[in-house]
Amino acid sequence: MRLAKALLLRLLYGVVSLIFISFVAFLADEVAPGDAASVRAGEKATVEQIERLREQMGLKRPMMVRYGEWLWKAAHLDFGTSYYGTREPVIDIVRRNLPMTMKIAFLAILLSAAIGIALGTAAAVWENRVPDRAVLTLSTLGVTLPNFVLAPILVYVFAQQLDRLPQNWGTPLVAPEWMYLVLPVCVLAARPMATLTRLTRASMVETLKQEFIKLAVAKGVPPRRLIFRHALRNAILPVITATGTSFGFLLTGSFVVETFFTLPGIGREAIEAIQKGNMPVVQACILITGVMFILLNMLVDLVLPVLDPRIRESQV
Amino acid sequence: MRKRDWMFWAGAAYLVLLVLGAILVPIFGPAYTEEVGPKFEPPGAKYWFGTDELGRDVFARVMYGARVSLFIGITVQLIALAVGITVGVLGVFAPKWFRVPLMRFTDGMFAFPDLLLAVLLIAVFGMGVQPVIAALAITHWPAMARLVQTQTASLKDREFVTAARALGGSTAYVAIRHILPQMWGVVLAVAMVDLAATILSESTLSFLGIGVQAPEPSWGSMIMRARANMQSHPEMLLWPCLILSATIFALNFVGDGLRAALDPRSK
Repeated sequence: MRLAKALLLRLLYGVVSLIFISFVAFLADEVAPGDAASVRAGEKATVEQIERLREQMGLKRPMMVRYGEWLWKAAHLDFGTSYYGTREPVIDIVRRNLPMTMKIAFLAILLSAAIGIALGTAAAVWENRVPDRAVLTLSTLGVTLPNFVLAPILVYVFAQQLDRLPQNWGTPLVAPEWMYLVLPVCVLAARPMATLTRLTRASMVETLKQEFIKLAVAKGVPPRRLIFRHALRNAILPVITATGTSFGFLLTGSFVVETFFTLPGIGREAIEAIQKGNMPVVQACILITGVMFILLNMLVDLVLPVLDPRIRESQV
Repeated sequence: MRKRDWMFWAGAAYLVLLVLGAILVPIFGPAYTEEVGPKFEPPGAKYWFGTDELGRDVFARVMYGARVSLFIGITVQLIALAVGITVGVLGVFAPKWFRVPLMRFTDGMFAFPDLLLAVLLIAVFGMGVQPVIAALAITHWPAMARLVQTQTASLKDREFVTAARALGGSTAYVAIRHILPQMWGVVLAVAMVDLAATILSESTLSFLGIGVQAPEPSWGSMIMRARANMQSHPEMLLWPCLILSATIFALNFVGDGLRAALDPRSK
């Protein structure tokens, strides 16, 4: 019963977050200078023409009514049309750019989970010895070093000095696509890799001190089996939660990487749209990443009791 | 402990130099917008860090960038401190109908990634120094509020507080004179570390081109500009990247050192 209540509360929390982010996204177009009517009327339009257009487009209705309508359309993936350029539907712009963001975020999270768990386990096994110290230093560096400082270092070494990888996304591509993604994925993965490493290490150190491990050692379980079968399986749960959360952060954290490597993704599109004042695109990009982030976090929290009987029981 | 001390003092020394440079550069240094010499000059006696693609003194620009970054970072932290302390104390002492929704709201602010919310707020407020301050203050106060709230809650039932209350101290008096002074050390240490995060966020926004706008120099926008010339002059990336990273490391070292020294509970 308690578990059901906790899950329900979590669900409610997620819904409130969704309403909040959608409302701020809606506000972006309200507050910013220039609205849909003045853009559609063109630069030469008189004030009266714009006013009349506003009336026709229903922009004079109360704000909450328009918010409701906007949200209803957004829920059906209708974000209006772009203010500038070809004036194509915003959803087409999103469809074109979202796959790249998803792709690098997904690859980055796989990479950071694989390496993070491996390094963290190694550090815990050799606690306070050389490998542990090296891993800790590396992960401190990974947490602190800004993305856009790491990126030029990697580009300088691998693209310019060694000349192994292409530097910028360009059309047409002159190399296989994966070669363009190596550096962005590495840069994107650096931070989650560092946090997952630390988390795995902390969790493993804690687990290795417990009674059942001592029992396993006394029973003569071989070390490899002890670490992977007995300890890691128990220590991995917080890491799984954090991996889910990190994935959400990667979706939204792709602004910097996409801008630096000029990748056609949703983050770069959003930044360009802000600079141009192309509000429908900004709203769509931010709403979509925000919603994905919130849903993902909700999913992680809801799935966790399924994975871990300890959480289930503590809340029953 | 030794190593900690060493890192603390190195960080503190660096920060003193940086602050001195940021204060003194308008008095002694060249103006950052002026084209002082030949383009892409290597570092030397005349131009300490060399010159950039428009022949401007990179050292002066980096130092003006420090002024901008420190100004934004410290302003944001002051706002975050003011709001965070108020919310944190209210989160313990206010009546329940106010306190519970307030802390729920504070927790709700954590539901969004900092950067996403900051970018969204920039979209609402526009670009430039003041919008950046507003956006970062809004994304950074909840952490401070949480810290103050947990600290206050843990101090509220201690004996010296009960004694002050028994002597007739009002809630406001007890909170301000007895509880808050107990946590300055931790709050200061956390503010130092969060200052690093603030400066990083500001640089990120400026790097993306939606933060501090030209001609005002900022480390983030310097990196962005240098990135455009990376093919021919990769060395332009060196100084802004180096100074930005060093500042972030130094603030972290000093913050961690302060916390270790001032908070007896953490080792």
